[in-house]
Amino acid sequence: MADTMGHSATATRNNTSVALGIFVLALAPQIFELIWSLGTIFGWGTGRGPVAALIGHASALFAGAPGAVFGSFGGGAKKLSSDVLLALMYSYPLFAVAILTLFMTIKSAQDYVGGIVLMALALFALWASSDLQGMRGFSFGAGTAPRMFGGLMVALSAGIALTGLLYDGPSLQHYSWRGPLFVMASIVFFALAIRPLGLIVSAFASFLIAATGSHETRWVEAIIVGACLTAGCAVLFPYILGLPMPMLPRFLMQ
Amino acid sequence: MNTIRMLAGACVAAAASLCAFVAPAQAQTYPTRSITMIVPFAAGGPTDVISRIVTGHMAQTLGQSIIIENVVGAGGTTATSRAARAANDGHTLITGHMGTHAASVPLYPKLAYHPEKDFEPIALLAGTPILILARKDFPPKDLKEFVAYVKANAEKVNAAHAGVGSVSHVSCELLHSILDIKPVGVPFNGTGPAMNALVGGQVDYMCDQIVNAVPQINAGTIKAYAIATPARNPSLPNVPTTTEAGLPAFQAQAWNAIFAPKGTSPAILATLNAAAVKALDDENVKKRLLDLGSVIPAPAERTPEALAALVKAEVAKWSAVLKPAT
Amino acid sequence: MDLFANLAHGFAVALSPINLLMCLIGALVGTLVGVLPGIGTIATVAMLLPITFGLPPVGALIMLAGIYYGAQYGGSTTSILVNIPGEATSVVTAIDGHQMAKQGRAGPALAIAAIGSFFAGCVATILIAVLGAPLTKLALAFGPAEYFSLMVLGLIFAVVLAKGSVLKAIAMIVFGLLLSMVGSDIETGASRMAFNIPELADGLGFATVAMGVFGFAEIIRNLDAGAEMNRDLVQQKITGLMPTKKDLIDSTPAILRGTVLGSILGILPGGGAVIASFAAYTLEKKIAKDPRRFGRGAIEGVAAPESANNAAAQTSFIPLLTLGIPPNAVMALMVGAMTIHGIVPGPQVMQKQPDLVWGMIASMWIGNLMLIIINLPLVGIWVRLLRVPYRLMFPSIVIFCAIGIYSVNNAPVDVILAGVFGLVGYWLIKHDFEPAPLLLGMVLGPLMEENLRRALLISRGDWSVFLTRPLSAVLLALAAGLLILTVLPVLRAKREEVFTESEN
Repeated sequence: MADTMGHSATATRNNTSVALGIFVLALAPQIFELIWSLGTIFGWGTGRGPVAALIGHASALFAGAPGAVFGSFGGGAKKLSSDVLLALMYSYPLFAVAILTLFMTIKSAQDYVGGIVLMALALFALWASSDLQGMRGFSFGAGTAPRMFGGLMVALSAGIALTGLLYDGPSLQHYSWRGPLFVMASIVFFALAIRPLGLIVSAFASFLIAATGSHETRWVEAIIVGACLTAGCAVLFPYILGLPMPMLPRFLMQ
Repeated sequence: MNTIRMLAGACVAAAASLCAFVAPAQAQTYPTRSITMIVPFAAGGPTDVISRIVTGHMAQTLGQSIIIENVVGAGGTTATSRAARAANDGHTLITGHMGTHAASVPLYPKLAYHPEKDFEPIALLAGTPILILARKDFPPKDLKEFVAYVKANAEKVNAAHAGVGSVSHVSCELLHSILDIKPVGVPFNGTGPAMNALVGGQVDYMCDQIVNAVPQINAGTIKAYAIATPARNPSLPNVPTTTEAGLPAFQAQAWNAIFAPKGTSPAILATLNAAAVKALDDENVKKRLLDLGSVIPAPAERTPEALAALVKAEVAKWSAVLKPAT
Repeated sequence: MDLFANLAHGFAVALSPINLLMCLIGALVGTLVGVLPGIGTIATVAMLLPITFGLPPVGALIMLAGIYYGAQYGGSTTSILVNIPGEATSVVTAIDGHQMAKQGRAGPALAIAAIGSFFAGCVATILIAVLGAPLTKLALAFGPAEYFSLMVLGLIFAVVLAKGSVLKAIAMIVFGLLLSMVGSDIETGASRMAFNIPELADGLGFATVAMGVFGFAEIIRNLDAGAEMNRDLVQQKITGLMPTKKDLIDSTPAILRGTVLGSILGILPGGGAVIASFAAYTLEKKIAKDPRRFGRGAIEGVAAPESANNAAAQTSFIPLLTLGIPPNAVMALMVGAMTIHGIVPGPQVMQKQPDLVWGMIASMWIGNLMLIIINLPLVGIWVRLLRVPYRLMFPSIVIFCAIGIYSVNNAPVDVILAGVFGLVGYWLIKHDFEPAPLLLGMVLGPLMEENLRRALLISRGDWSVFLTRPLSAVLLALAAGLLILTVLPVLRAKREEVFTESEN
C-alpha cells in the first residue's frame, strides 16, 4: 500500500506520473521481498537472502516470463516457478496497464487509480492462490473460490478504472504523511513492546508516539493524560476484564 | 527535535516510576510463581474443561495458582508450537491432546514441533470416548447394519466432521480406513454446527466425543451405534462397545495429557506428576470428570513413561491412518 | 396456563438477590466490553469463564448472557461516537450513527439505539418464552443450501446500503470475500494466501480488519491537514441529548420492523444476527420516501439495525435453550460454563433445568431494563466525551484499539495487521470506497463459501439444489428481486449519480 501513496501524493496533470506509479506498483511485491530479505542477513525472519531474491525475480522478469509466454506456443507445459508466475500474472499485466495509461485521458483520477490498485490486489490474490488445488469432480478445491472471486474482482476493478476514463469525477486527494506515519509507528511499537515490556510501558510510550502525529499536541497535557490512561488501562484490562497481560517489563519480573 | 527529547524524557520517567513496583526476586523451590497452563483450544471445550478441573486441584497441591491460557488456532498447533518454545522452567505447561500430540504429525507436514522430541510427558489426565452417531432416521439399526449399509452405499452417504484435524475428523478417518471406504466428508466449523446438521438430518453420520452427544442421544434426536472404548460408559449404559457390536478394530479416545517443554528438570516433572496423580485420586475431581463421560486413567497409565509410550503409539497409529488420505 | 407458571417461576429465580446482582454485573461488563473498541464479547466471556466456576450455574449463566446482550448496547456507542464498530452487527449502525454524531446529534442517536434495543429485547424475550420450541424447527430446516442462499441475500443487502457507486460497493464486497479466504481451507486444511505466516493460518480476524479500516483509518484521516475544521465543528454543534418528538415518530415503525426481522433471523445460527442488522437497514432504505437521507444521518438507519441486532442477540438463545446446540462462539462458551457445572445442555434442558432456562429468560427482560436504565443517563456522559479535544482523544483511541486487538488472540501480529488495514482504509477513503460492504463481505464470505461447498458435497455437485429446496429458492428469488430493484435505477441514472457524488 505504502508505495501507492507516493504517486498519489502529487496531483497529476499529465499521465506520466500515474503510469510511473503503476509501474512501481507492478514491481511492489518483488521490491517488498527484497527489502524483507535484507533482514535475513542479520538472521531475522525466514526466507531467501537478498541476493537469491534479486536474482530470482530479475531472471523471472527478464528471461523466465517472456520465455514462458513464447514457450507456451511451442507446446511446452512445464511447471513454472512462483517467481515466473508472479511476473506473468501480476507484473506484466500491470506493465501493460502502465503503458496504456500514457495514451489515455483520465477524467477522474480518483476512480482510475482506485480501480487499477484494486486490480493489482486482485491479480496478486490470483497469484497467491495459483498453487492451490482446483475443482476435483464435484467438490470444490481449496483454490476454486479464491480464483473465482479474484477473477471477479479483476473485472470489477477494470470497470471502476473505466468509469474513471469515461466520466468526470474528482482527481486524487491530498495525502498527509505525519498522521499515518506516527499512528503506524505507535501501533507497531505497541505490537513489538507488549510482550517484552508489558502493558504499562508500551501503552504509555505508544500514546506519546501517536500524539506526535498531530501538530496540535501539547506535551505536558499529553504526558499527564497518557499517564492517567495507562494507569486506567492497567487496572481496567487485567483486573476488571480479567485479560491476562504482562504488566511490567520482563527483565523486571525475574 | 524538541519532540524527541520530550519522548526520551517521558520514557525515562516511566522507567523510573516502574522500578518502584518491582519486588525483590525470591529464591525458593519450585514453583516460585504462578504456572501458566496453555490450553490449545477455546475455553469451554472438552480439553479446556478437563484442564480446569484437574489444574484447579493441582494448584492447591503446588501452592501456586495455575493460570489457564487458551490459545486457539490451526487445530491447536499454534499453541503447541508456542509451548514447545517456552522456557523449560516448569512455569509454562500445556494440555496436549490426541490432535496436537499425535494426529498433527501426519496432518501438518510443516509442523514446527515434534510431540515426542520437543516435550517432556508429565501425566495423562483423562480420555473422552468417541461414539459413532447417526441422524435419527438413518436406516441401519445397529453397528453391523451400519457397516453393511455404509459399505454398500459409500457413494451416497455423508459423514459430518468438525473441521480438518478435529477429533471428529481424524476418528472418522480411522473408521473409514478400517472399513476401507471413502465416503464424502462434509466439513463444519466446530462440533456445534456439525451436531446441528446431524440433528437436522442434513448429514448421515459422524464420529464425535461423548460430551456433546449424551443429551442428544438421551432425547432421541440422534442415535448412537457404538462407543469406541473397551468398556461401556456409565453415562450411556445402553450403548454397546465396538467390540460387542462387532467392530473391535475401531478403538479411539480423545485423550488429554499435560506436557512440559523439553529439558524441564526431572525434579519438577516428578512434582507435577505427583500433583496430577493426586488430583485424579480426588473424589470431587473424579466425579466431575466422570460426569463429562470421561475415562480416568488407571494408576499404571498415569506415569510419564506410560504417557511417552502412548504418544509414540498414537503418532504411529494416526500416521498410518491419515497419510494416505492426503 | 403453563407459560405463565413457567415465567412466574423464572422471575422468582431471576429476582433472587444474587441473580439480580449477577444480571447487573453482566449488563455492566457487557456495556463496558461493547464500548471498548476491539475487546470482543468472545474474548471477554472466555476470560470471565473461570470466575463463574465459583458461582451457582444459574447465576453464572445469567451473568454471561448479560455480557452478551449488554455488549450489543455498548457496541453501538463506539460505532456512533468514533465510527468504530466492535462487532459485525454494529457495522451498519456506524454508517448513519456516526453521521448523526457529526451533525451534533450523537445524543439522539445513542438514545434511540438504547430505546430500540430495549423494545426489541423485550419483544424477543417474550418470543423466546412463547414460541421458542416451534421456532427451533426453522433453525433445523436450514441446511447448507439454505444458508448459501441466505448469504447471497446478505451480500445483496451490502450493495443496497452503499450510498455511492454500486460498482464500487460490489468491488468492496468481493475484496472482503477475498480477504476472508486467507487462512486454512475448511475442507482440505490447505493454507490459502497465508504466505507461511503462522498468525495468518486461521485467517484475518474480524476485529483486526474492522479496527483497521474503520478505527485507525478514521483517526489517520482526521489527522490530515484541513480536517481540524470539520472536527471542531462536530464538537461545537452538539444539540439536544434526547430524541425529539419527530425523531421518535420517525423511528417507531423502524424499530418495529427491525425487531421483527431481527427476531426471525436471530434464530438462524451462523450469520443470522449479522444479516439481521443489514437486512433491517436495507428494508428501511428501500421503503423510505427519500432513500438519499440514508448514509447521511437518518435516524431510522440507527433505530432499525440496533433493534434488529438486539432482537437477534436474544432470539439466538433459542437453539441453545431448546436444542442444546450453541449457535455461535459466545454460546459455545456458555455451554462450556454449563458443562463445568455438570449440566450438558441438550434438547431436554427445558424440562430438566427449568430453573436455568426460565431463570435466564426472565433475567433477559430484567437485564434489558437495567441496560436502558444504565444507558440513557450515560448518553450525556458519552456526548460530553466528544468534547474532549481530538489531540487527546485520538492517541487514547489508538491505545484502546491496540490493547483490544491484542487481547483477542494475544497476538502482536494482529495489532500490526490492524495498522496495515488502517492504511488500506485511509487509501479507501481517499478513493471514495466504503468500508462497510468490505466488512460484510468478510463476515459472510466464509459462511457463503463453506455452505456452497457443503451443499454441493451433499448433492454430489448438483447445482439445482439451490432452486429445488423451497426455502433456498425463496431466498434466492428475494435476492434477485432486490438486486434488480437496486441496479435498475442506477443504470438509468448513471450520469446523474456520478455528478451527485462529485458534489461531496
